[in-house]
Amino acid sequence: MTSLKQIAAVTLMSLRTIPGRMGSSLVVVIGMACAVGALVSILSMSAGFLRTMGNTGSPSRAIILSDGALGEWGSSVAHTQAAIIADMPGVRRDEAQKPVVSADYLGYTVVPKKSDGLDAYIDVRGVSAENPRLRPEIKLVSGRMFHPGQYEVIVGKSAQAQFDGLREGDRISLPEGDWLITGTFEANGNADESELITDASTLLSAMRTSTYKSMTVLLDSPAAFTRFKNAVTARPGPALEISRESDYYAEQSKSFDQFLRTIAYVVGGIMGLGATFGALNTMYSAVSARAREIATLRAIGFGGGAVVISVMTECFLFCLAGAAAGVAFAWALFNGYQHAMGGLVIRLAVTAELAVTGIGFALILGMVGGLFPALRAARMPVTDALRAT
Amino acid sequence: MKYLPLILAGLWRKPARTIFTFLSIVVAFILFGILSAIEGGMARQMEAARLDRLLVDTKFGTNMPLTYLDRIAAIPGVTLVAPRQILVGYYQDPKAPFGMIMTDQRFWAVRPELNVTKEQIEALRRTRTGALVTVFSAKRFGWKVGQRVPIISNTVNKAGSHVWTFDILGIIDDTSRPGTGRYFVGNYDYVDQDRTTQKSTVDRILVRIKDPNRATQISRTIDRMFANSAAPTRTGSEKSDRLSGVRAIGDVGFFTRAVVAAVLFMLLFLTGNTMMQSVRERVPEFAVLKTLGYSDGGVLALVLAESVILCLLAAAAGLALAKLGIPRIGDISPDMGQLLLMPWSALLTGLGFGLAVSLASGLIPALRAKRLSIIQALASRP
Repeated sequence: MTSLKQIAAVTLMSLRTIPGRMGSSLVVVIGMACAVGALVSILSMSAGFLRTMGNTGSPSRAIILSDGALGEWGSSVAHTQAAIIADMPGVRRDEAQKPVVSADYLGYTVVPKKSDGLDAYIDVRGVSAENPRLRPEIKLVSGRMFHPGQYEVIVGKSAQAQFDGLREGDRISLPEGDWLITGTFEANGNADESELITDASTLLSAMRTSTYKSMTVLLDSPAAFTRFKNAVTARPGPALEISRESDYYAEQSKSFDQFLRTIAYVVGGIMGLGATFGALNTMYSAVSARAREIATLRAIGFGGGAVVISVMTECFLFCLAGAAAGVAFAWALFNGYQHAMGGLVIRLAVTAELAVTGIGFALILGMVGGLFPALRAARMPVTDALRAT
Repeated sequence: MKYLPLILAGLWRKPARTIFTFLSIVVAFILFGILSAIEGGMARQMEAARLDRLLVDTKFGTNMPLTYLDRIAAIPGVTLVAPRQILVGYYQDPKAPFGMIMTDQRFWAVRPELNVTKEQIEALRRTRTGALVTVFSAKRFGWKVGQRVPIISNTVNKAGSHVWTFDILGIIDDTSRPGTGRYFVGNYDYVDQDRTTQKSTVDRILVRIKDPNRATQISRTIDRMFANSAAPTRTGSEKSDRLSGVRAIGDVGFFTRAVVAAVLFMLLFLTGNTMMQSVRERVPEFAVLKTLGYSDGGVLALVLAESVILCLLAAAAGLALAKLGIPRIGDISPDMGQLLLMPWSALLTGLGFGLAVSLASGLIPALRAKRLSIIQALASRP
């Protein structure tokens, strides 16, 4: 109990002297704010990307690609195969006993970015009639649905915000002339929201092809996946790759996410190292400025442990303040900021997890920056320190 | 020069403080070096891109018929055309897919930066399943000349299989980025005869033109020619293609400048604080110097010199470490390595930033030393 009292007394005492050491304390705060700010800003890109991709995949849907396709673009699923897959066990059927599936075709076109006017690719997805039941997250927010057989598309909100010429009533260059944009949809900010959607058969005939790129089916339940997969694998015909949709999107986002994280931790780590040296400097000078005071405390019976904890607490507080400033800065600048990467529009997200990561990062650095000065403070020979001028 | 020992003594007054400040500046300039290497790597890619090479791509993702080649070749100002079909596949590791360029002998004239011999071109022409690969690709997969390699592709061949077998006929290199260019070049006829869909089509046509200044004009002519066909085209110079590719990742320039600004801001406070503390401790010493006849300006210069020497030495150390270390990244991860190139000019820019930071952070402490009055300073001696 007495040791706890000691810790509290020494810590409070050292905290009260901070205003006198404002300048050098600010160095730690600013250093940590910069390092944490950089780390969290870059990680917010990864968080936004994962959120977009994570919202796209559902565990109760399965996506079917041709074997070795590595993604929708490299895949092709024949018409005949699509019909067979739709009849497989495990596929949900609607009231009219129609399987809830969509055989998708994917094309692209070029639109200018609002930010710099440079051309960017945007995906055009052709879907089957059952799509509204298959992907209920796609909700029309204004305008009307496209009419199958007409050269019409609906546009995702993210795409509309990012590119020029995608308002309702605009016409967009696609095969067989200009297609009319009839409506705008939302989809929980997922990857589909960066796309244009139209009727698959209309798109296929305009593109003069007959093979789909992929097929997505709604399962009876998430647990029905294995039954469905086994049935598709056992059927005769070309080999197909069947994945749970949520797994598929997680897999697709893995390598890019790792790339972003690597950059975040390299940049944040190097800046953090710099900030740690700054913290060491500040804390060493704080300890030497208070040498007499600490020695006096030790002489009247305060333990070394209490001194160590008081110095560490002070350092942690500086780091915490810096981390909070860094997170707040990143949040103010980047949270919700829309950014187009290739054909995908992501919304950067400074999440609570990132705030925790940033603060944890700063506290680990603070541990290094505070521990050595704290140990020196505790080990200082009392008599020498008292005698020193 | 004769003041150097005095300056060094001032810096070495508290070795720990100087060392920590020094190290944080070193670390900051290593980061500066890495960031400038990212921008340098992008710039190198842009430089290698040529304005006299046009890329004819498909506008909506439908392949273009082979007949386009002759029609493009007939356009005045076009000197060469070559077909290209990418075959995507992997060798043993499904996690490491790569693209194989399926083309014919015209390809080599369009890409003169590839150092290929006449014999190699001839060997590839004679061997339907042959392939020429770059040093990098051969090393990456451990391939030797004469080896048969099975590649698993997403394209089905007429045997109903995804396996495409190639004979490695020779090793080439990309002289615009020696050792890091990744090419795998095979015969268009092989893929076209053996695939079951999209026969007699290509996904890109490479075009060389006589006059780079006419790149835009000829691109428009090509796109107009096919505007109303089943497969409209989208043509641009290689340079504009790379530019939009670089932009697609995001605004790298903005990112690097933002981080550099944050780092310099941090350094400003760090060194400023170090100098401030050092001056505060040495108030009596400066008073003694002034008593001995040092002018106010002399004392100011002395403090600034300390700050400049500290920052410049540390910046130089950090930049040198980055310059020496970055090429080593390529040894560990070739993917990262080929994206990084720290230009020599970055060393100068870095030192310039170092100088600016040292002057800005040394100024206030130096002014304080300059202004202090001898009497008060000596009287305050504890």
